Amino acid sequence: MKLREFAYSRSGDKGDIVNLCVFVYDDANWEVLRRELTVEKVRDKFGSLVKGEITRYELPGTKGLNFVMTEALGGGVSMSLRTDPHGKSYQSLILEIDIDADEEIKR
Amino acid sequence: MSRSISIGSGSAYSTDRLDWAQELADSGLVDYMGFDCLAERTMALAQVRRLDDETAGHDQRIPELMRRFAGFLRRGGKMVGNFGAANPAAAADDVLRGLKLNGVTGVRVGVIHGDDVLDHVLDQDLELPEMGVTAQAIAAQVVSANAYIGADPIVELLEEGAQFILGGRIADPSLYVGPIAYEMGWALDDWEKMGTATLVAHLLECGTHATGGNYVDPPYRVLDDIVHLGFPLAHVSEDELVITKLEGTGGAVDIGTMKTQLAYEIHDPAAYLTPDSTADFSQVWVEEVGPNRVRVGGASGRPRPDSLKVLVGVDQGWKVVTEISYGGAGCVERAQLAAEVVAKRLEPYQSGIDEIRYDLHGMSALFDGQLPGGDPAEVRLRIAARCDDRETADAVAFEGQFLWMGPAGGGGVATQMAPAIGVTPALLPREDMKLITEVIEA
Repeated sequence: MKLREFAYSRSGDKGDIVNLCVFVYDDANWEVLRRELTVEKVRDKFGSLVKGEITRYELPGTKGLNFVMTEALGGGVSMSLRTDPHGKSYQSLILEIDIDADEEIKR
Repeated sequence: MSRSISIGSGSAYSTDRLDWAQELADSGLVDYMGFDCLAERTMALAQVRRLDDETAGHDQRIPELMRRFAGFLRRGGKMVGNFGAANPAAAADDVLRGLKLNGVTGVRVGVIHGDDVLDHVLDQDLELPEMGVTAQAIAAQVVSANAYIGADPIVELLEEGAQFILGGRIADPSLYVGPIAYEMGWALDDWEKMGTATLVAHLLECGTHATGGNYVDPPYRVLDDIVHLGFPLAHVSEDELVITKLEGTGGAVDIGTMKTQLAYEIHDPAAYLTPDSTADFSQVWVEEVGPNRVRVGGASGRPRPDSLKVLVGVDQGWKVVTEISYGGAGCVERAQLAAEVVAKRLEPYQSGIDEIRYDLHGMSALFDGQLPGGDPAEVRLRIAARCDDRETADAVAFEGQFLWMGPAGGGGVATQMAPAIGVTPALLPREDMKLITEVIEA
């Protein structure tokens, strides 16, 4: 299943750095999110879009993850030649990640 | 009587809409309105406008702002905004003119000067880590440098009775932290309280981002009405922090909109760096306590950073974007062929082109091909380049247009051309920024 089926996201930019937060609709799915949505999966989905590091942080209070990606906007909003220099659309890309946990996910 | 403050969000960027913010101000629900008018690039563009015209470089909405918020000011409402951008003095002139024009008297206008640190950045040859150089290495291209202003001068001006406060690059959350600290009597070095004030500020600073903007994604994330979003407001007391919006407006203040705003544009949730504190949002909780009414808490804080972030504006020549569409069978191949042809035709200009990219809207423009593009009915070739000079940028634009004579069926050529002003961060020791506050009696 796609991450989009049980989680939502928003991307933000600062310079050439993008952050992508991901929260679950149902708190019951937090542990699955935590276990399944690894830096490796995110790196694999973003590929050439992210030239730098990807760091994963947790927000235990709100049951969310925050991925911080450096060198991720082609130089940052003011310098980038990309169509979406803010990376606003990245929130839709992360939700495309396949999560292999159909049995466990509460809907 | 226990202390409290009701504060609303009035703007989240330089061209944000003011009509819905006015509704909130006129509702009588808030004593204060905060206005963020600057994105990273807005500041540098404002500096460039000022270089051309010494009376320019500030928020261009001030005449409209004064017309819309005259009633709020007349009722004693207080406004704090970074309307000054690159030219706080000119912004203050516009505000005074606006007060007079709209018949508002007795307003003390507080002005914060001194965030322009261009001389410091060059004298001390600060590092520009994202560019991998120091300021002196590209001195001829450095057009501006503004350090982020914190809550301190805002509190100072409120203590002096200012009702309308403006400055240059006031940090977005500080626009709200200042009034909250002042009204609640929270010391600016009470880091726990600053963390709490910063949480409220962060939930307000992006305007409709907290009430349903940049949010809905049917069929999973759906809100009843996103046509007319409300701007958010907060009620802060010693007992609780409540975020809500004006009744009768669309969008939502709920768990989902609050969580996405909580983590919007933050990095380490346990160390959100602002000029006012190192705020910790990791344990923040949100709880719905009524329709469009959310209680939040759990923020904490540690001492503020010793350095201030500076945004350095860098002249990068010219940016040109030219686009053309192709449709029907073979459209992707024709667009790719068009890109190859343009690349060949631009070979004589190569030395003046800093960077150029060719993207296909509908295939790979957003995600670099990370999602398979399928077999679209139409595509749009986008050629974007950053060039050293206008002549080279003109050549790119010309070749884009000449694609009329490229592969068959190209249509809808559109070209944009603008000076390329980049902004890049630097860090300045806090003591190197000397702010000056001024109160003008209108």
